[in-house]
Amino acid sequence: MAEAAVLNWVLFLPLVGVAALAIVPADNGRLVRSLSFTVMVVQLALTAWLYARFDPTVGGLQFETRLPWIAAWGVSYQIGLDGYNILLVLMTAYLGPLVVAGAFSAIAKDVKLFYAMVFLVQFAMVGTFLAQDLFLFYVFWETMLIPMFLLIGIWGGERRIYATIKFVLYTAFGSILMLAAVIYLVWSLQTTTGITSFAFADLAQTRLPVDVQTVLLGAFALSFAIKVPMAPLHTWLPDAHVEAPTAGSVILAGVMLKMGTYGFMKLGFPLFPDATRQLAPVLMSLAVLSIVYGACLALVQDDIKKIIAYSSISHLGYVMLGLLSLDLLGIQGAVIQMVSHGLVAGGLFLMVGMIYERCHTRELAAYGGIAKLLPVYSVFFMVLTLASVGLPTTSGFTGEFLVLLGAFKAAWPLHVAGNDLPLVLALVAVTGVVLGALYMLRFALGFLFGAARAPHQPLVDLGARERWILGLIVAAVFALGLFPNEPMQKTELAAKAYRELIVAPRLTARAP
Amino acid sequence: MNTTAVLTAMLPEHLLLVGLVLVIGLEIVGHSRRAALAVAFVAVAAAAYAAAQLSLDGYAAAPFAGQFSVDRTTLLVKAMVLAFALPVLVMARDDFSGGEFPALLLSSLYGVCLLQSADSFATVFLGLELMSLPVYVLVLLAWRRPQSAEAALKYLVLGGTATAMFLMGASLLYGGSATLSIDAFPRALAAGDGLSRAAVVLVVLAFFLKAAIVPFHAWAPDAYEAASVPVTAYMATIVKAGVVLAALRLFGRAQLAAPMLGLVAALPLASIVWGNLAAMRQPSLRRMIAYSSIAHAGYLFYALLGDPAGRLQAIAFYLLAYGLMNLLAFAALPAADDDVARDRLDNLRGLFHRAPFAALMLGLAMLSLAGIPPLPGFVAKFLIFRNVMTSGHALLAVLGLVGSYLGIYFYLRVIQLMFMSPDANVAPSTGRHRLALGASVACVAAALLVAVFPGWVIGRL
Repeated sequence: MAEAAVLNWVLFLPLVGVAALAIVPADNGRLVRSLSFTVMVVQLALTAWLYARFDPTVGGLQFETRLPWIAAWGVSYQIGLDGYNILLVLMTAYLGPLVVAGAFSAIAKDVKLFYAMVFLVQFAMVGTFLAQDLFLFYVFWETMLIPMFLLIGIWGGERRIYATIKFVLYTAFGSILMLAAVIYLVWSLQTTTGITSFAFADLAQTRLPVDVQTVLLGAFALSFAIKVPMAPLHTWLPDAHVEAPTAGSVILAGVMLKMGTYGFMKLGFPLFPDATRQLAPVLMSLAVLSIVYGACLALVQDDIKKIIAYSSISHLGYVMLGLLSLDLLGIQGAVIQMVSHGLVAGGLFLMVGMIYERCHTRELAAYGGIAKLLPVYSVFFMVLTLASVGLPTTSGFTGEFLVLLGAFKAAWPLHVAGNDLPLVLALVAVTGVVLGALYMLRFALGFLFGAARAPHQPLVDLGARERWILGLIVAAVFALGLFPNEPMQKTELAAKAYRELIVAPRLTARAP
Repeated sequence: MNTTAVLTAMLPEHLLLVGLVLVIGLEIVGHSRRAALAVAFVAVAAAAYAAAQLSLDGYAAAPFAGQFSVDRTTLLVKAMVLAFALPVLVMARDDFSGGEFPALLLSSLYGVCLLQSADSFATVFLGLELMSLPVYVLVLLAWRRPQSAEAALKYLVLGGTATAMFLMGASLLYGGSATLSIDAFPRALAAGDGLSRAAVVLVVLAFFLKAAIVPFHAWAPDAYEAASVPVTAYMATIVKAGVVLAALRLFGRAQLAAPMLGLVAALPLASIVWGNLAAMRQPSLRRMIAYSSIAHAGYLFYALLGDPAGRLQAIAFYLLAYGLMNLLAFAALPAADDDVARDRLDNLRGLFHRAPFAALMLGLAMLSLAGIPPLPGFVAKFLIFRNVMTSGHALLAVLGLVGSYLGIYFYLRVIQLMFMSPDANVAPSTGRHRLALGASVACVAAALLVAVFPGWVIGRL
């Protein structure tokens, strides 16, 4: 199985990168940078090849590797691609080289350690998506924390230490309760069916009474909701985003936030379907609250990084709404929205980083008329802004439109049956789109137009490296917006399977 | 009594004894200062190897029936504990040059080994005392600061109290059951009469005192701070392992039930919480490690709540991960001419820029002690809490996990100081011995093996 071997390479290449960095002399910054970039490009190439080989007509796992790891507990090293993770893995691999290249000029201190940490985050993130065993998933999930802790804490802004410790303590608290739930879940599987296993496929067979499901879902959801983040658990995010270096923000917004929504989709909801259906109104309300609250907060920020940080909360609310709508279009829209937000927010954070390198301030009020000063920059900025707003032909439109369509489609029959809440929530979610247009256009207007003013003039427009980075992101944004069919085909069976898992009642009476 | 069995079963102990005699002999003839450490190193290595080899052969014997017996697992545990002593000896090269340190260490190790094989309360007592008495001296041996004497005295008095409590408990048990065999202990655990209860409580509290469980922990921070680095490392890893493993041996296959369950759950839980909270405010690295080890003693005793079949596995694996990482932390700790300065956490500021390797090693150790995957500390904690939960104590497991969460902050603070803070004004030290570097490499290599193949290690236990 050549594909399975390649998939293992995709996962472990970043570690090879770390090992290579360890032997490269630290003072040779050029070599360190080109080495890191090359490793990331190879990872992307391998991932793209796997994406092309992925057969959308087959459900379930492809290119699977399964080896016993801790045999006594039924823990195995099991990875594979499926409709759930394929787009997210591809997006992660796509952002990898761009993050590395984006940091070429920004990072001057401890360059080797920096790229080693980027590799470790990349390893853990790809691993989290690929893992098909709960123990392995948890290990990757937690491994992510430490390199991110260092990325923010070493290369971040002024309040970096406060921000990074807050980030770690917040996320670790969710994880510790998830760990308790994991242990309990596996034990229940063992006592009810006699199977000792952490494999997702086996865990899907657990039958638990609704009240136990609710507690366990609560523990998983706390961990995932902190990562997403869903209001009111979002307060770590603005600090972490603002203080992180550009690469850190891109990784955080681009990929790490999707860990939360992916966790809900792959684990939280399908493992506890009865509890999910019961709690859906609460969770949907929180999702819509995130959409509106995030957008309102983004509207009043003076720090350009904070605007994008709060907009992330809002955009990920749509993902949650789509996942909870349990409508096929909504679910697929949620997946597209995850990828779209990764590209758009990643791109916007890169652009903020580029202007910050030139002007050393993130105060929105300090800027004006950038369109005259930096024409090329402004074109890219406008495109990404419009993608964030959800203009048709961009990926943002596909994602949000499908989510809202799904939400309405699911809400209408319920409305006819007398339950108005989903419809109200869907309607409120639409106002989020309007608010999104409002805060992004306020941002773009103040930033790009008006009297030309910027600290540190004259400004140099984007160089070739920066144009390439943004060009690739914009290309992906349009590709996803104009041709969403191809990626949606790859995820369609998974979306159906996800829906089936939750809609089919799996209630049992007895606790172990 | 079979001579071959005595020779073979006690081979690790005999090798330690040979080393001890040689060290004392060298001291008498006044041979070179460093030779004693080398002899001790070889003796401990040989003893560890002998224990490991016997264990692999599946050797089991009871040369002194009712007093001393060995089997595959006790030998394996001895091999592990003895192997832990090797980095300690290597580290000691910078701090001790005479024969006292190796001689005391070897006697104490003899006690640790004896404890693992004890079948009667008399042997347990012998082992406990032989293990502890040399350590009281070791704490004082470096005499780096005036507080050393106070700390050593405190340790001696409280250690003596623990011994007295243990003896009282054992005599009550003897009074109730007319036997000194340790089998009397699980029976007394199950019994409901006042005499047995009192005996069990006294014995358990004695072990809590020796392992520094809250509220009997006050001696530990002082003793750890006053001792020199290798002695602190020895107390934090090997002495702690010896005490916990001895307690495990006493508990045998007994399933804990109320009201004793409450005792064994409440105080360790308090240790976890208080150890982790108090560690946050320590300015000294060794005091911080002391509080961290109070919390870790809590996790280790927590494992007794689990199913008897899985206890040894959980505790031995935990000790392996915990011991390796603690030793790594001490071995990687950069040298300084001033012991007080070396100990200050603030002196770790910006260590990554002065000594990247040491900073990375210390960082790994801290993360593993915090229980963050993929490092071995995580699997170790997972194993313990999994056993506790599958024995039906879901709430206790959750409380313990939340308690362990409290510990994350102070371990991360060390990393924050080393990697994110501006350089401290530290005079470069007069050279670090290459051997200590070797010790940390060995520890980290072993720890990585445990991290990558935990299944293999668990399968051996």
